[in-house]
Amino acid sequence: MKNNGIGRLFEGIDGWTVLLYAVIVCLGFVFITSASYDDSGAGIFSMSHFYMKQLMWMGIAAGVAIVVLLIDASFYHRWAYFFYIAGIAALLATLMFGREVNGAKAWFELGPIRVQPVEFVKIATALALARVMSTGSFSIDRTGDLFKVGVVLIVPLFIIILQNDTGSGLVLASLLFVLYREGINKWLFIPVLVTIVLFIFSFLFTPMTLLVMLILICTLSEAMMNRQWRSRVIYLASLALGTLLLYFTMFAVVPGRLSLYGCLLIVTLLSLVVVAVYAFRANLRNIYLIMGLFFVSLALIPTTDYIFNSVLKTHQQNRILSFLGIVSDPLGTDYNVNQAKIAIGSGGFFGKGFMNGTQIKYGFVPEKHTDFIFCTAGEEWGFVGSMTVLALFCALIFRLMRMGERQGEPFGRIYCYSVAAFMLFHLLVNIGMTVGLMPVMGIPLPFVSYGGSSLVAFTIMLFIAIRLDATTRTHIARL
Amino acid sequence: MSRQVDGVARMRTLQVVVLIVFGVIALRVAYLQLIDRRYADIARGNTLRHEVQYPSRGEVFDRHGEFLVQSRECYDLMVVYRDLNPDGFDTLRFCGVTGIDSGILTRRLADARMHSRTPHMVMGYMSKEDKLRFDECNFDGFYTIYRTVRQYPRKVGGNLLGYVGEVNPDMIKRYPSYRAGEYVGMSGVESAYEEELRGKKGVKISEVDAHGTIQQSYENGGFDSLPVPGRSIVCTIDAELQLFAEELMAGKVGAVVAIEPSTGEILVMVSSPTYDPDELVGRERGNHYMELLRNKRNPLFNRSVSARYPPGSTFKLVQGLIGLEEGVLHPGQRYVCHEGYQVGRQRVKCHSHDSPLDLRFAVATSCNAYFCYVFRNILENPKYGGSQNGFEVWKEYVRSFGFGRKLDSDFLGEGNGYIPDKEFYDKRYRKSWNALTLLSLSIGQGELGCTPLQMANLAAIVANRGYYYIPHIVRSVEGQDSLDRRFYERHYTKVSPKHFEPIVQGMWQGVHEAGGTSGVAFLPGLDVCGKTGTAQNPHGQDHSTFLSFAPKDNPRIAISVYVENGGFGASMAAPIASLIEEQYLTDTVKRPWLVDMIKQKRIYYPVYDK
Repeated sequence: MKNNGIGRLFEGIDGWTVLLYAVIVCLGFVFITSASYDDSGAGIFSMSHFYMKQLMWMGIAAGVAIVVLLIDASFYHRWAYFFYIAGIAALLATLMFGREVNGAKAWFELGPIRVQPVEFVKIATALALARVMSTGSFSIDRTGDLFKVGVVLIVPLFIIILQNDTGSGLVLASLLFVLYREGINKWLFIPVLVTIVLFIFSFLFTPMTLLVMLILICTLSEAMMNRQWRSRVIYLASLALGTLLLYFTMFAVVPGRLSLYGCLLIVTLLSLVVVAVYAFRANLRNIYLIMGLFFVSLALIPTTDYIFNSVLKTHQQNRILSFLGIVSDPLGTDYNVNQAKIAIGSGGFFGKGFMNGTQIKYGFVPEKHTDFIFCTAGEEWGFVGSMTVLALFCALIFRLMRMGERQGEPFGRIYCYSVAAFMLFHLLVNIGMTVGLMPVMGIPLPFVSYGGSSLVAFTIMLFIAIRLDATTRTHIARL
Repeated sequence: MSRQVDGVARMRTLQVVVLIVFGVIALRVAYLQLIDRRYADIARGNTLRHEVQYPSRGEVFDRHGEFLVQSRECYDLMVVYRDLNPDGFDTLRFCGVTGIDSGILTRRLADARMHSRTPHMVMGYMSKEDKLRFDECNFDGFYTIYRTVRQYPRKVGGNLLGYVGEVNPDMIKRYPSYRAGEYVGMSGVESAYEEELRGKKGVKISEVDAHGTIQQSYENGGFDSLPVPGRSIVCTIDAELQLFAEELMAGKVGAVVAIEPSTGEILVMVSSPTYDPDELVGRERGNHYMELLRNKRNPLFNRSVSARYPPGSTFKLVQGLIGLEEGVLHPGQRYVCHEGYQVGRQRVKCHSHDSPLDLRFAVATSCNAYFCYVFRNILENPKYGGSQNGFEVWKEYVRSFGFGRKLDSDFLGEGNGYIPDKEFYDKRYRKSWNALTLLSLSIGQGELGCTPLQMANLAAIVANRGYYYIPHIVRSVEGQDSLDRRFYERHYTKVSPKHFEPIVQGMWQGVHEAGGTSGVAFLPGLDVCGKTGTAQNPHGQDHSTFLSFAPKDNPRIAISVYVENGGFGASMAAPIASLIEEQYLTDTVKRPWLVDMIKQKRIYYPVYDK
């Protein structure tokens, strides 16, 4: 009320977030400059350099940010579904008319610039999710509402995976973060975690080991829940005894017909009948849950093999195998990650200094200005530099969560959390892959990696959150 | 309300999740950057390339300062396929300019295409002329690298100068300072003086990118070093004389060694057949090398220092000297010779000459019987009690003349020759042997084996009247005041100098008086002394050998010529030695007819050529 026009525009804006954003973008520019500077070619200010292009995109991003702030918060609420449908349409269009880059058909070519619609679909999905979940009658515990949420998430995810851009698709999975905040049943996370763990373990261990581990985990967690130990230990012992008995009997009758694994499986499955009867008698319901988990896990083990062999592409298989340390190929699949680790590791505490990173400068690190931009931070600015980047992002994510918490409306909160989830996932996967914690997935580091559509999209995403937050705060202040 | 509380709790959980994610990443980064120091080393290995700068090899001059071995500049033609312009590339013109075969060019370019950013060699040993022509044409993507190769302007002394080849893995193991692909002297002077000729490698450290392309020098070249060229060497060889000797030896198998007695410097060292050292350089090296290996006369075997020949009658000089020193012979001693020496059924034949005869004439006419007497007297000297002990004494005398052992010259691959010892005969004759058993030793036959170098050394000993300087092929090394001390020391034999005069006299008579066997070696006014030798051997005709020095007083050259299956000493070896002496002492040859005759003489060798 105090002043109109421009002053009003910035009223209630979270200054810290904007500052963090600006610092991160500027750091990104510094990294891109040293990663892409090439003294052979054109002059320093030539537009052929990546850093000059990035500078241009930074300008555009700033403009876009102001535009986003100028639009009224209710606009995003009202048009959320429209954006979502437009996003889906854009994805479908890329699938049909898009341009294939690095095996993923995820790019639109608009004259000289290439746009990746996925970046914008993320925003649309976050908005749509917020819209769905902020409806007055929405209850996360109701199956029908949960189904709606599922549809909102699965449809773009499916199309993105069809585009062969699995990395970007998995970003949407990070919205589980938001669902957790919104009070989704904790038990739903268990199958997800179990699936992930099993997926990894099924590569590392033999079926026999997996089965034994599964039996032990299930029995022990059940024992822990019901605080009954003796009978559970007796159960385990009798399982082992039964298995051996069956094995030797079969060995005596028809040798080689039944393996130890088969015997254990048969004995365990038979024992489950007894367990079910026991659970019914003792009225211990959670035993059924554990049994269900056990069956699902058993079913999952062959499924992972199927997914791995049939769904994943060879290069994805290789990345996973090399990440898990099952195959080693320093000049092939492992090359990128090894060189990235060497670059970061050679940085030491203070780094080699601006433009002095030999691994970066001489092209040992691939994709040094896009996906592997963190290597520049690590090599040239050392431990200090990498920690600074991590701290800035950590602060930004906390800030976003805090902004979400202080929203009056669920819409704003869900949206802010979605942005935080996206950031966290991008960070975990991108930096995780450069330091060898994650398999290689081609997703950028927000605000830092070179790329116009990524920078602009993340800017829009962040500033919508800021706009929503600002509106709430001015609203509350006015109250 | 409970909903609100639950929301706050869940926010806290999510904050913990975020912190855990960041914590794990931070720990991982800390591990990489602060704890595991491996990566810094790997990074350095990634980017630094140590490039060896090869020094040019030292040059070799003859005693008159003429080039024997030069380092010739040559160029390797390289290509970086990426920089090549495939459309504008005129293959025909390129082949025309560089002289490369178009088939080879296509193959090399196909190889280069595999790693299109790294340099590939297209052709080695490009001459300077070709390189200049190539430079004018300006082919994109091609460039040349400077190197040096050996060149032998006089084209003499294949085995003497030796050749240079790539180091083999065995050698690298023994001498770690060599790297694969480096060149090293493989034989002859190149090998003996490898240390001096080699020079010191330099290094250039540069930073390379992921494709191996050089970006810039490391620390502005602060750690680089320049190569130090190898030192040049002045040989004792007389190139002119060497060439002349090689020509004379053409078509014959054998060796010529000539020594300057007053210094021990080797003037000529021919191992025949020889080869043109230039053939073992350059693109055709492999083919030529195989040709030499396949040659049955074995040109790569350096006969002049390694072959083991029976010395024949030339050995009578040693026999006479030992007899004189032992006191069992005096120069006036006369023995009769009726075309041979006979004890019981054993007979050593001799040719017809005046009889009885004294030591001088026995040397001059090369009487077999005379030296049989001498040999027996040495071995059966009552003061040693038995000819087996006498033999041991005799053997020690012989060894003091440099036989049966290496002379310790600077030439590698020097052979021992062979002087049988007591054990050898004990084994062969089951311990029952005496002077008569060994009678063939008296005339330089039997088990005796001498290298041509040892025989030339004997000539030098007689010329010096009792001592020798160790024969050597290098006169001086650049930047070095003197050679090893051992080359400046007189090595005396066990025969005192006073006993040499009658032998020298005998050698002089052999050339200058009627009845002497060495008449062909006569050179007016030069007082040539000589001793022929005709060594019987199981491989056909006798070996022809001749031992000589001139002039008689203040001798300037001592020479030994050995021609396998050359017949009488006087028929082949003596004329060759005489011509070489004439050439060396007078700088001209006044007997062109003899030169022609010798040069054209080809000996048939059933042993080699079968």
